[in-house]
Amino acid sequence: MPEKPRQLETAHGIIRFPAYIPVTTFGSKYPLDALIQPYLPRLSQAVMVSHHYAKLMKQRPRLPLLIDSGGFATLFDGSEVFEHRGLGHLRVCLGNEVEVLTPLDVLEFQEEHADVAFTLDFPIPPKLPIAEAKRRQALTIANAVWAIQNRRRRDLRLFACIQAWSVESASLCAAELARHPFDGFAIGGLVPRARDVDLVLAIVAAVREKIDDRPLHVFGLGKPETTARLFNAGVDSVDSSSYVKLAADGCLWENTNFRLQDPSPADRLRLAIQNLATATRTALPLATQAF
Amino acid sequence: MIDLSPQFNPAQQLVMDHALLDSGFSCVLQMPTGSGKTWMAREAIRRSVQCGFRAVYLSPLRALADELSSRWADEFRGTPVGVFTGDYGGTRKSHPVSYQDAQVLIMTPERLDACTRCWRGHWSWIPEVDWLVVDEIHLLGNRGRGARLEGAISRFRRLNPFCRVLALSATLGNREELADWLEGIEFQSDWRPVSLKWRIVHFRKAAEKPGLLAQELARTRDAGGQSLVFVQSRRRSEQLAAFLREQGLDALHHHAGLDHSRRRVVENAFRESSTRILVATGTLEMGLNLPVRQVVLYDTQGFDGTDFVPLAVNTVWQRAGRAGRPGLDPVGEALLIAPSWNSSAEHYPRGRFERIRSGLRDPQSLAEQILAEVHSGMARSSTQLHRVFDGSLAKLQGDRLPIDECIGEMLRAGMLAEDEQEQVNEGEERLRATPLGRIAIRHLLRPATILDLRRFLCSVTYFTHFDLLVAAACADDCEPVLSVDFEELDSLVERLKTIDSFLFEGPRETWHRRLPRHGKRLLSALKTAVVLLDWSRTGDLESVANEHCCYPFEILRLIESMDRLLMAAATIHKLSHRTDTAAPDCSVEPDYQDPGIGVLRQMIINGVNEPAAKLTLIDGIGAKWARKLVAAGITDLSSLAVSHPSWISTLGGVSEKRATTWVESAKSLATLNVRPYEHLLPSPIPVVPADFESGTDPYRLRRALELNVQAVESGVWAVSGGLEPHRVQGMRPDFTCDCQDHAKGNVCKHVLAVRLQCGDDSLQLPVQRLEKGASDEHLDLFYLWFERN
Ligand SMILES: Nc1ncnc2c1ncn2[C@@H]1O[C@H](COP(=O)(O)OP(=O)(O)OP(=O)(O)O)[C@@H](O)[C@H]1O
Ligand SMILES: [Mg+2]
Repeated sequence: MPEKPRQLETAHGIIRFPAYIPVTTFGSKYPLDALIQPYLPRLSQAVMVSHHYAKLMKQRPRLPLLIDSGGFATLFDGSEVFEHRGLGHLRVCLGNEVEVLTPLDVLEFQEEHADVAFTLDFPIPPKLPIAEAKRRQALTIANAVWAIQNRRRRDLRLFACIQAWSVESASLCAAELARHPFDGFAIGGLVPRARDVDLVLAIVAAVREKIDDRPLHVFGLGKPETTARLFNAGVDSVDSSSYVKLAADGCLWENTNFRLQDPSPADRLRLAIQNLATATRTALPLATQAF
Repeated sequence: MIDLSPQFNPAQQLVMDHALLDSGFSCVLQMPTGSGKTWMAREAIRRSVQCGFRAVYLSPLRALADELSSRWADEFRGTPVGVFTGDYGGTRKSHPVSYQDAQVLIMTPERLDACTRCWRGHWSWIPEVDWLVVDEIHLLGNRGRGARLEGAISRFRRLNPFCRVLALSATLGNREELADWLEGIEFQSDWRPVSLKWRIVHFRKAAEKPGLLAQELARTRDAGGQSLVFVQSRRRSEQLAAFLREQGLDALHHHAGLDHSRRRVVENAFRESSTRILVATGTLEMGLNLPVRQVVLYDTQGFDGTDFVPLAVNTVWQRAGRAGRPGLDPVGEALLIAPSWNSSAEHYPRGRFERIRSGLRDPQSLAEQILAEVHSGMARSSTQLHRVFDGSLAKLQGDRLPIDECIGEMLRAGMLAEDEQEQVNEGEERLRATPLGRIAIRHLLRPATILDLRRFLCSVTYFTHFDLLVAAACADDCEPVLSVDFEELDSLVERLKTIDSFLFEGPRETWHRRLPRHGKRLLSALKTAVVLLDWSRTGDLESVANEHCCYPFEILRLIESMDRLLMAAATIHKLSHRTDTAAPDCSVEPDYQDPGIGVLRQMIINGVNEPAAKLTLIDGIGAKWARKLVAAGITDLSSLAVSHPSWISTLGGVSEKRATTWVESAKSLATLNVRPYEHLLPSPIPVVPADFESGTDPYRLRRALELNVQAVESGVWAVSGGLEPHRVQGMRPDFTCDCQDHAKGNVCKHVLAVRLQCGDDSLQLPVQRLEKGASDEHLDLFYLWFERN
């Protein structure tokens, strides 16, 4: 029997797996993102926005929108994860401003704007003391469980975030979350471990084992050669902003020797398009490839 | 409604069979006139609109854009079709469909250029465009418009790398090269809905031409066909149409001097066959479908701005291609009327089209495009600019573009500046447009125009309205350039004597330095200034046009140009008279108007005199009210200042309260010195009449000096370089020529040319007098006439 195509139905369209999902931002910090946004529907099936930037969104891209929790800010200097009535909150210092992220704020915003939402999680960097690591994982799990119990919009696809410091801890976390009716799972915190590909693949395998055939996303690992291995290992989707980061520096994914001096906004746009096409394996007309 | 299962003609079928429009590439289609290019473009657009994309269609002429948009609005039912030309937007009529709403955007190249220059404001639709159709792509080779089209296409493609260009033309000598430039594919077909037959009719004497033409036209008429005759000048089209009518042929003339409605009337008369012959200038060579069996090229030479030169093969085919109505005419006939002694017309039927050359070769155009790139933020360093122009058609054609020289020049001239805060690389700074540079961009003027205006405004302490109008009329951006006939010089001299000027007070050398033009071009600027002044005096287009041998429609276009030029002049004037030049970037409000220049602008755009124009300085008084007040006897600010508001309100349409504020403003403005030189007295322009004592007519002699003479056989010469080639025969001192001037009993320029060639001593003295030059103290129109441009 042919295998059923793996896909995720959302309020704004179907995402077919495996899927490479570009990250974008709103606001004026990354002007290249505003340039490439209107072209994303031609190149990808969905787009990922961080909670922080999603709040600056004026016009919704015409694509399924994935909104993460912004828990990534845990890694910023001066950020603090604290417990409040059994759930994990995050205090973030942005310059002089202090912002507190709560599971409720995140979910409410996602219910309003997202097609796919990710629960509020707290990354565990490699050298974090084990006690703090455990605390963060527990709060990450608590937040996810709270979210699935409090989701109101039925067509909001809710993904539980998994944070861990080892293969076993990932497996345990996944097992815990798999008991709940999440639409999918997402592994965070792998970016600082990306060099150790074997570890990454082992974590993926451990998680995959616990979550039966539900969708599995991996945050932030967007290098084309890595994504191919991740997809083989059972990952359904990845997201990354590398296509624009490289382009802003005048660089191309497919040719590491290439570097454009002093790229103009339009040069960057072209490079980003070309990078994203490489990543999503979209065929571009030759004329659209400039470099 | 669009037929959803259309039948293709053979050429279109080939395009479909090769899936050229689905290849994802840009595409250059070269197909004969009337073979369904525009129809094909509509088909491509229909498909991508169905997929939710937008499309842009560039049409070289406003009138064609209008016509197409109303047709397509019908055909694309349910799909919003917008038209964007100089007739809409800004202070004119608002767009029938907004940019945001339009799914099909029909534009002139200039409008697309403007959109790409401020692309951020158009970012909501530019990325959604799938096809950019460039109809009549050979416009790329047009002096002036070509570089703007190229710049617009180039910027558009960089902003939207997914957009494909569909380039259409019947006449391209370098289709492959253009396809390379667009990184696309190309297709060519010779299929015509009706086949085209070429014929050449020879004349032995120029005087035979009208008669020959009449014979040919009568034959076509008797066989039930209609004819379109192309001639080289407007006057010729009128005279020839009149001549043909005298011969019992119903002919009308058509040229760019006619306003749109008159042109429409003429075109419709021809469409309905109530007139069966049209005598036209180049205006009809593009895009209009007219029921023509026979196209006659009456003149195989045309004026290129300085000289009469043989028509390009491209032009001849653009015109000839119109012959033959599908289903009605068995064949289309292209008829050339050519001199019997010259075989240069024989090559036209072969159709070896000329190569389209990039307009960026002209340094002026390059400078304008550099400025546009910098200001739009699309290229802000030398490295980036080099990369942009590496992708230009000019570069592909092997031209060396002096980019760094251009940047350097504009830096020195203060149109560009370097941003010290932002370095690109070592020694390379980010560029930005200065307020002066931005004036050029805002008003779509060439950088040289801005610099010339600035030079003028900075070098004169005082200037009259006339002075400024002359300076502005000297700009390349002032269109159209009015021609000045030799016969008009006397009346122009008389008129100039009555006009006040500071500019022409000094010696010739001084004003020559302030005005960038010479010769006939300067004469034309003088005439333009006079025409516009007279228009502001009377507000009567017809009579001004009549008096100055031009067309009302030309004056309307001049008013449009002058509006932009005077707005630019006002801003330049303010910039260059600011004391804090240390802060060149401190921004000038875009709408700032120097009151003096502002008043002049009101005079010109509204056709009102100075006192009435001053009334428009008051908030709430526009041209309409100004005229109304003048008609009611309130002819200037001071009379408004002493009027009773209650009385003004009896004029209707204004409340007493508002009238009170008008009167109050008038009181404060009446003391405003809008003409700083009011205490000075400019003098009338010192003009001299021609004072040519020699028996030889100076005009003909000067023209004779420019002609080419070739001995054909003993006692027979071919003279070329004039309106058309002529033949001179005979021996000293008895020469005859076949031209009309000679037929009238004059010693024509052709005969003079032959005499010069034969070394006729009696002409030595007059030639020396001609070449010695003009008077120093006086404005010598006759000298200008002869002076090289
Ligand atoms: N496949 C077709 N079916 C029906 N009518 C057609 C077809 N192709 C072209 N036509 C008609 O033929 C005429 C000429 O077509 P069109 O204006 O597209 O030619 P063109 O090549 O653009 O001419 P030009 O050189 O004058 O711009 C139009 O009236 C058009 O509607
Ligand atoms: Mg056409």
